Amino acid sequence: MSQQSTGTVLDAIIEGVRADMAARQEQVGLDELRRLAAQRPHALDAESALRGPHEDAVQIIAEVKRSSPSKGALAEIADPARLAAAYEHGGASVISVLTEQRRFGGSLADLDAVRAAVSVPVLRKDFTVDEYQIWEARAHGADLVLLIVAALTDEQLRRFLDLTHELGMHALVETHTPEEIERAAAAGARIVGVNVRNLKTLDVDVDTFGRLAELLPEGAVVVAESGVEGEEQIARYASHGAKAVLVGEALVRAGDPSATITGFRAAGAAARAGRRGAADPAGAAAEAASLRHAPGPYFGDFGGRWMPESLIAVLDELTDTFEKAKADPEFTAEFQRLSREYSNRPSLLTEAQRFAAHAGCRVFLKREDLNHTGSHKINNVLGQALLAQRMGKTRLIAETGAGQHGVATATAAALFGMECVVYMGEEDTRRQALNVARMELLGATVIPVTNGSRTLKDAINEALRDWVASVDTTHYLLGTAAGAAPFPAMVRYFHEQIGEEARAQILDQTGRLPDAVAACVGGGSNAIGIFHGFLDDPAVELYGFEAGGDGVDTGRHAATISLGRPGVLHGAKTYLMQDEDGQTVESHSISAGLDYPAVGPEHSYLHDIGRVRYEPVTDTEAMDAFKLLSRTEGIIPAIESSHALAGALKVGRRWAEDLGPEAAAEKIVVVSLSGRGDKDVATAAEWFGMLPDGSSEEELGEKGEQL
Amino acid sequence: MTTTRNETTGPDLASRILPPGLRANPDSPLAARIAECRAQGRPALVGYLPAGFPTVEESIEAAVALGTNGADVIEIGIPYSDPVMDGPVIQHATTTALANGFRVADVFRVVRAVAERTDAVPVVMTYWNPVLQMGVDTFARRLAEAGGAGIITPDLIPDEASEWFAASQEHGLDRIFLVAPSSSRERLDLVVKAASGFVYAVSVMGVTGARDAVSDVAEQLVADTRAAGAQNVCVGLGVSRREHVEEIGAYADGVIVGTALVKALADGGPEAVGALARELSGRA
Repeated sequence: MSQQSTGTVLDAIIEGVRADMAARQEQVGLDELRRLAAQRPHALDAESALRGPHEDAVQIIAEVKRSSPSKGALAEIADPARLAAAYEHGGASVISVLTEQRRFGGSLADLDAVRAAVSVPVLRKDFTVDEYQIWEARAHGADLVLLIVAALTDEQLRRFLDLTHELGMHALVETHTPEEIERAAAAGARIVGVNVRNLKTLDVDVDTFGRLAELLPEGAVVVAESGVEGEEQIARYASHGAKAVLVGEALVRAGDPSATITGFRAAGAAARAGRRGAADPAGAAAEAASLRHAPGPYFGDFGGRWMPESLIAVLDELTDTFEKAKADPEFTAEFQRLSREYSNRPSLLTEAQRFAAHAGCRVFLKREDLNHTGSHKINNVLGQALLAQRMGKTRLIAETGAGQHGVATATAAALFGMECVVYMGEEDTRRQALNVARMELLGATVIPVTNGSRTLKDAINEALRDWVASVDTTHYLLGTAAGAAPFPAMVRYFHEQIGEEARAQILDQTGRLPDAVAACVGGGSNAIGIFHGFLDDPAVELYGFEAGGDGVDTGRHAATISLGRPGVLHGAKTYLMQDEDGQTVESHSISAGLDYPAVGPEHSYLHDIGRVRYEPVTDTEAMDAFKLLSRTEGIIPAIESSHALAGALKVGRRWAEDLGPEAAAEKIVVVSLSGRGDKDVATAAEWFGMLPDGSSEEELGEKGEQL
Repeated sequence: MTTTRNETTGPDLASRILPPGLRANPDSPLAARIAECRAQGRPALVGYLPAGFPTVEESIEAAVALGTNGADVIEIGIPYSDPVMDGPVIQHATTTALANGFRVADVFRVVRAVAERTDAVPVVMTYWNPVLQMGVDTFARRLAEAGGAGIITPDLIPDEASEWFAASQEHGLDRIFLVAPSSSRERLDLVVKAASGFVYAVSVMGVTGARDAVSDVAEQLVADTRAAGAQNVCVGLGVSRREHVEEIGAYADGVIVGTALVKALADGGPEAVGALARELSGRA
């Protein structure tokens, strides 16, 4: 293949890159790379990560770089994984890993180590001159590759860019001149880097960026590269419109890379806010860098309103009512009063010392199980019932799987004197006869849904059909932070108190932030509520544990983010369990509350930008944790919450392996104990074989009846 | 439901949402057919049948029977796992089609058969996720190749349709969006500007299904949609008899029949579909 000669230092570098690649190709063929790439989880969305949560935000691409041709050896990097983790803790949005060996001292081993250590997107930074390298990047788990326009023909650039996008990755397309910017735009680059290092002289001229920035294609994410010594250059780039800045040397040499990145992000955001003419650039900057209180309707590419026109007017009405209510002290006071005097908030934060012995770290439980009705669900139903009242609606409808949300909605309807209809899959009404009775005792009508798979998703479909015909009198009280806008942001709003309380309580009880927070994720409302308190603390690792059912290899699970792919269902673009044709696939879990084939769109976003790690937990792992908490702490958890407990055990054991038992013992994980397990007693007794043969309880347990 | 439309303030929705230069397809066979019907002094008869019900082959024969017995436009539905806008009859049909192994690509065979064997104009009616998963551009290209004229999108509003705007223009397809009795004036304006071929007016707040009487909010909705600039407005949801066709035909450009045809197919096969089409079109 012909190679573009650049007449610069690139030519010699590329010669070496080709020789090294030839050696690797001898070892690992393209077919093998394809196989490895296919086994990798879907690439993360570096474009969303670099766009950031707000127009003023400036993101940092932090580079793991051992040496460079211009400066020689930079620093001894004994452990690239640890350095990358420090970058992530400081709030880096992407980690760049140099893999070129001869001049930069990098390797694919560095890439592997970093990939395993961080959850944010990873850039494989190398001199891409062959498709083989792009496959190689994906096979090693990279989410981004570097394409240097100067080193490629137009045809190569287009071909490489297409392959990168086909593999679900993004490319940082690096330019140096107006001509190269034009070529990058023509090829369809979505992330365009401007490298201010002159390739002939290797000098850096920061002002070049300002001149070139004006030429960049509209809509592309603009990245400034090279020349950063401190916050001053970051501010300069940002004031010329950079959305992200790639920083290497300044971080590698920094004593505290985490704090340096935090400072860079603040300086960049202040400069962008200043450029836009914000009255209080520093305040605007703090807000811009924040992932908290994301307003929707979109979370990156996710969310929106994929809904029939017939429902748009009522969604508009709800959005409007919610926005006004949030700003109305009377509303917020009433919501807080109900939370305090009716739901029993704030819920406790309990250290679980005997349970923790099995995890090898300190474990604190956020006790949503102590709320009225036994789970976090009450927060959301009280909030939405208040909104329904404001809109003059007299009837509440809801979907329910296990019955938790149905019971909570029936409770609120009783309290507010409203009519209540709960849609429940016919299958679930049989499995949950006692919860049906509970709802009926509270005055609700339960309608068994006999369409489709007769489970939660069909109950949602049926509730939507009811709503289309009843919008004038009826509020659809959706039970999770999913569906069309405004539901995801609104449901989260009512659960934000979980995270806010937890953060204050852990600071109060231990004097510091936790190292990790764990929650179970079905639709994801308790998880988004507790994560919310910690989203802007990049050093706090966030874990969402999905229902792995019989195991993710069996196909019988509800691990939507771990194994699904983006699509639209129930009004939102989000990760879904679906077949090739886009038909929803049935989910499976021992926990009815996690048995949902989609997930809230904000979780999809937090996954794609790498802020939260989502992992599956199997039925067996969850039930083991259920029993362990019951026997070590005297607390019977909901099976849903047991997934978070099982996940916390994994996190603790990983720390013990990586850091040794002494260091792990100092670590803290906060677990969202989202609900209590009274409803799950029969299922658990059956699972553990505790019921006598032929007893009526055993029959109930076999049907999944939850007493 | 009130018949006065809510006024909203703020910047014009249509200019915020629609891409500059968005045009209606100038060679739309759909618009041409509706104009032809108007010239003949009658409403266009628009019939819906799901692809793959009860099997792909039988759905082809049913669609052809519909097209050769008086339907001007045929909506071929794509069976979908979560049809939130459909009542029990259509749900049952599409669930059956899926259980019988329907695949999304089969829809193009049905469209092609209608295009080749009848004079009716075929369009596809589909929930959006199946299109999204095939790739919006790929779906549009294959639909155009099969002879389809456009897509009716019951759960895609113009606000989320940027990919579809590009693909429909690229492949010369019509974008049939819906308006509802609950739509504000501003949204009517948006939908009318976004749509091409015709605007689908939902006659009642509810899901699909035959009704004894067609609601009188439909006439007001059609008038308001025309006032927003629509050339062609067709009315659907609840139509099952010739008298409905005549009643709606007095004020709308086309009358859409779905559930009644699906029920006829379920009960009496393609022949029954043909017979109902003759009745609805006034030929029987």
